[in-house]
Amino acid sequence: MRRLFVKSQRRPKMSATLKPYLSAVRASLTAAMCLENFESQVVERHNKPEVEVKSSKELLLTPVTVSRNEKERILIESSINSIRVSIAIKQADEIEKILCKKFMRFMMQRAEHFFILRRKPIEGYDISFLITNFHTEQMYKHKLVDFVIQFMEEIDKEISEMKISLNARARIVAEEFLKNF
Amino acid sequence: MPEVHQLIPGPITCHCWNGDRSRFAISPNNTEVHIYTKKGSKWEVQHVLSEHGQKVTGMDWAPKSDRLVTCGADRNAYVWTFAGEEWKPSLVILRINRAATTVRWSPLENKFAVGSGARLISICYFEKENDWWVSKHIKKPLRSTVLGIDWHPNNYLLAAGSCDFKARVFSGYVKEIEEKPEATCWGKKMTFGACMAEFSNGGGGWVHSVSFSPSGNKLAWVGHDSSVSVANQAADGQVSTVMHSYLPYLSCLFLTENSLVAAGYDCCPVLWMHDDAGSLTYINKLDTAEKKQKEFVSAMDKFKGLDNRANAGGRDVELDSTHQNAISEILLHTGSRENVSKFATVGVDGQLVIWDCKSLESSIAGLRFK
Amino acid sequence: MSKNTLSTDFRKVDVDELDEEKYRDDPETSEASNEADQVARREQEVKRLTQSSNNMEALKVCLEDPPVSTKDKALKERNFNVVLDVLTRFRAADVEKAVKSLSSEQVDVLMKYIYRGFASPTENSCGILLSWHDKAVTAGGLGSIVRVLTDRKSV
Repeated sequence: MRRLFVKSQRRPKMSATLKPYLSAVRASLTAAMCLENFESQVVERHNKPEVEVKSSKELLLTPVTVSRNEKERILIESSINSIRVSIAIKQADEIEKILCKKFMRFMMQRAEHFFILRRKPIEGYDISFLITNFHTEQMYKHKLVDFVIQFMEEIDKEISEMKISLNARARIVAEEFLKNF
Repeated sequence: MPEVHQLIPGPITCHCWNGDRSRFAISPNNTEVHIYTKKGSKWEVQHVLSEHGQKVTGMDWAPKSDRLVTCGADRNAYVWTFAGEEWKPSLVILRINRAATTVRWSPLENKFAVGSGARLISICYFEKENDWWVSKHIKKPLRSTVLGIDWHPNNYLLAAGSCDFKARVFSGYVKEIEEKPEATCWGKKMTFGACMAEFSNGGGGWVHSVSFSPSGNKLAWVGHDSSVSVANQAADGQVSTVMHSYLPYLSCLFLTENSLVAAGYDCCPVLWMHDDAGSLTYINKLDTAEKKQKEFVSAMDKFKGLDNRANAGGRDVELDSTHQNAISEILLHTGSRENVSKFATVGVDGQLVIWDCKSLESSIAGLRFK
Repeated sequence: MSKNTLSTDFRKVDVDELDEEKYRDDPETSEASNEADQVARREQEVKRLTQSSNNMEALKVCLEDPPVSTKDKALKERNFNVVLDVLTRFRAADVEKAVKSLSSEQVDVLMKYIYRGFASPTENSCGILLSWHDKAVTAGGLGSIVRVLTDRKSV
């Protein structure tokens, strides 16, 4: 009973904006992920993701944000051969902040297994992806967009599940401890 | 039905056809150039040319003299001649200090132009005394990497699209090897490297590709701001631009004086018409392929997809177009410049597709290549 | 032998900035000074139209002549607030009709304002902007989003 109460408290009228938010993100990502191979025009024989190097202003596109509310937003910075997607995850209270931080750290330490994950998030965001033209050459673009969207959805679910199990464990521990008195 | 050839699993960076279309060359996104020849109904690799130190970024095959020119990210270009059984490379002194991006033979095949990331275009011609290819540079007013090049049919002028959001027409008149050019609607004075015209959309999208019309009076370019533009110099330089609602195009080609085919990130070639009054209109998608019949998609899958990804489809991976990834290049296959009857496209999906205009006209209602 | 061996300031010079052949965005043009007046005039016009409940006209007026040339942030902020106010006045059911009545250039400008709104979210604005975004994409296609990304001048 208590569990249901916690869940409904967490999501008041949230799903009304979820579908338009995800479709706005999908459209923005599809438009921004038009990448092609580009050899560096600053360093000879090098090929660098221009969105990271930012060496030539004409190769960078305007960064755009898509927000669901003040806390949840996604920043899309694109360039001619790479795109950086940064996600700010909803963290309603202290426990969620800690869980989110630990979870993101866990994933970012294993960034090479994800291929498109960046080892450090951009300032103001919790996690960032760096997708280059090499990724869009090897993988389908629409599946990459699907992945990012699915990722955003599942992070929320995972964090709320972790919080529930954390609370449950804390309750059990407290009960056991208090039995002594 | 377009002729589809799945050549390699990865992207095809660039391709070109020989004069009689019995062979073609591609670069499979690495340092090599593969030459294919027809064996029965399939195409097979006949030769592998590996001289470049880094990725091959552009190539062109001269139809009459049968010479192949390739350029790469290693700042080099080679002219290959077929001698007996093998292809022999001959280095071109480009004198650029950044990667080359694209290369095109001139219509008379006595010179070729190489666009590069060094913000200049190298026009190369053969110097008989020293038996090598030398280059002259076009620098001003290019401010960024050159992405696409096309020669005017008169062999003197060339158009270039670059990352500084402009499409320009330059003079590539090399006095060492040719006669003085006659005046055209693009201008009278054609000193080497003179910028005859400069066009911009005002907004800001990298110009991926440029194409002269068969007469040379019109110039079309496609930009990353999802725009298609045609400048008609014969009509006082009138420019018609359309900001369309699809993903940007990467390549364009005039099929006749008024029809333009463009293709890019939407993975499908599209026909545009430009009439003499200056109106540029979208005609039709040229791809009538449908998604392959997928296995039974359960209602549960559909709902899951809708809930998870705001995507009403099932677990589908394939696109409903012939190309499964962006189309990087469109080239003339059969027919003359004035009347292209077949054109070829290559894409990031490793496919080479040959489209037949006649069969497209019959399969798509109301379609006419005028 | 160099006399100036003590100073190492030359190492901090940004050589790339001094490159003459580098691409530079066009500098601010003279249109910028007119835009302050235009914004003020537009504000008045929109106020008049919204007070008389003529939301469709107000939308068209506020999307005219976006202040792209100016670099004055306060001016752009003021202009954006006018636009956001108009967008908020529409009922959810009327949004689609309103977007359909716009020309493709107006849809492009609307997209720019929508993304600007996302960049500075307030409590209720996001839900409204998301529904406008959905309808605008249906009307302008992905091309309108691509133009927001590629345009050098922001609104």
